[in-house]
Amino acid sequence: MAFSMFLRTPACTSRVFTQQVMKLATQPTLTQRTVASTLPVRSLTLKEAKSSPIFNAVRSFRTTLARRNVETPHDHSKLWVIEKAVGAALIPMVPLSLMMPNKVFDSILAILITAHSFWGLEAIAVDYVRASIFGPIIPKIAIGLVYLISIATLGGLFYIISHDVGIANTIRQFWAIKSDSQKA
Amino acid sequence: MPLLRLTTGTFGQLRTFATSQALGKRVKTFAVYRWNPDEPDKKPYTQNFEVDLDDCAPMVLDALLKIKNEMDPTLTFRRSCREGVCGSCAMNIDGINTLACISHIDQNLSKPTKIYPLPHMYVVKDLVPDLTNFYRQYQSIEPWLQRDHEAVKGKESQLLQDVEDRAKLDGLYECVLCACCSTSCPSYWWNGDKYLGPAVLMQAYRWIIDSRDEATEKRLSKLKDVYSVYRCHTIMNCTRTCPKGLNPGRAIAQIKTLLSGLVKKEAPIMDPAGLDKQSVRN
Repeated sequence: MAFSMFLRTPACTSRVFTQQVMKLATQPTLTQRTVASTLPVRSLTLKEAKSSPIFNAVRSFRTTLARRNVETPHDHSKLWVIEKAVGAALIPMVPLSLMMPNKVFDSILAILITAHSFWGLEAIAVDYVRASIFGPIIPKIAIGLVYLISIATLGGLFYIISHDVGIANTIRQFWAIKSDSQKA
Repeated sequence: MPLLRLTTGTFGQLRTFATSQALGKRVKTFAVYRWNPDEPDKKPYTQNFEVDLDDCAPMVLDALLKIKNEMDPTLTFRRSCREGVCGSCAMNIDGINTLACISHIDQNLSKPTKIYPLPHMYVVKDLVPDLTNFYRQYQSIEPWLQRDHEAVKGKESQLLQDVEDRAKLDGLYECVLCACCSTSCPSYWWNGDKYLGPAVLMQAYRWIIDSRDEATEKRLSKLKDVYSVYRCHTIMNCTRTCPKGLNPGRAIAQIKTLLSGLVKKEAPIMDPAGLDKQSVRN
């Protein structure tokens, strides 16, 4: 740990140091050594020279704050509070709207459910459908699908509220289902 | 006295009996992940090594060292302190990320112990993962004390910290950065390039809540984006796997509450610059 941090200190990343390492690495006595013994020196020079592969299988893979901030400049902290608030609000709202079916509770429930499932699906799309695996286009389609599904869900729920008996009553109807033998 | 003399060597005899051929050798198989960068065409494979447990110290690292010393000197792994304070020998043992030096060898001889490098990392060789990205991420959180007015060199004075404020760092500073937790986190597997991972976030929290550190706002504002912290889905593999028994999951949750603004960092109980001010007054 300490050694690797030392390698990243300015003294080690400076040009003079790199030249020294290059000189060492290209000394004839050293080049006669086996591949394995010169390996650390080789990988060091390559890393300082900022060229990517040490071996083809070990690709240089880095994160910089600049990159993270450029890619995702916006502040997520307020949205996080809203996400958690919606999740918490669902706990009382689900039983409440089932106990007292009315359009106001139904509408609130429809919005909460859609928002909650939207963030859940969005997280799934971001985590599983990544640009590093699927390329630049498919992840965007996946996010688009999440929006589409959420809009359709909200629309469908409001259709039930406005043109049908409402969400709570629809769920209540499950208990009204009777088998043929019971009806007879 | 003659009675006592009769008992001499009893323990030695017991031990000889317990480890005798009559009872059979206690041979344990270790299936170790192998990959050599000098043979790039050869796919990674697991190699079985048989170790006599009666001739080996109790920890997995001891077995690995025995294999390296006596069977195959090309076996490559990191190790240093052999007592769980350096974090070098982090590897995946029987499916759990842990330190080889503080995990006992499973005494069940019927099953081989499987040893792999830390999961989902690029492998440099055998059990050695490439931790470059992990260290860069650690570097990105600026893991050092930051004051608004840095002390002039040669005129530094001690910063004061109350015992209670110091207690807040317990369970955070003990981290040895072995990367067991980060590499056990599915979110880190998926978005390791942008999500900082539990180990680095716990260290970020350690500096955020330090009563002597004055860069809290700057530190928090760097973590506000969608990826750095918020890719944590409280899966809690980090806390479960930590070989030091720490709780990175809790630290990340605390960062989230601090970021939300609902919880504020408490003012230091003791003014950190107290000694400086006193010397100015005098």
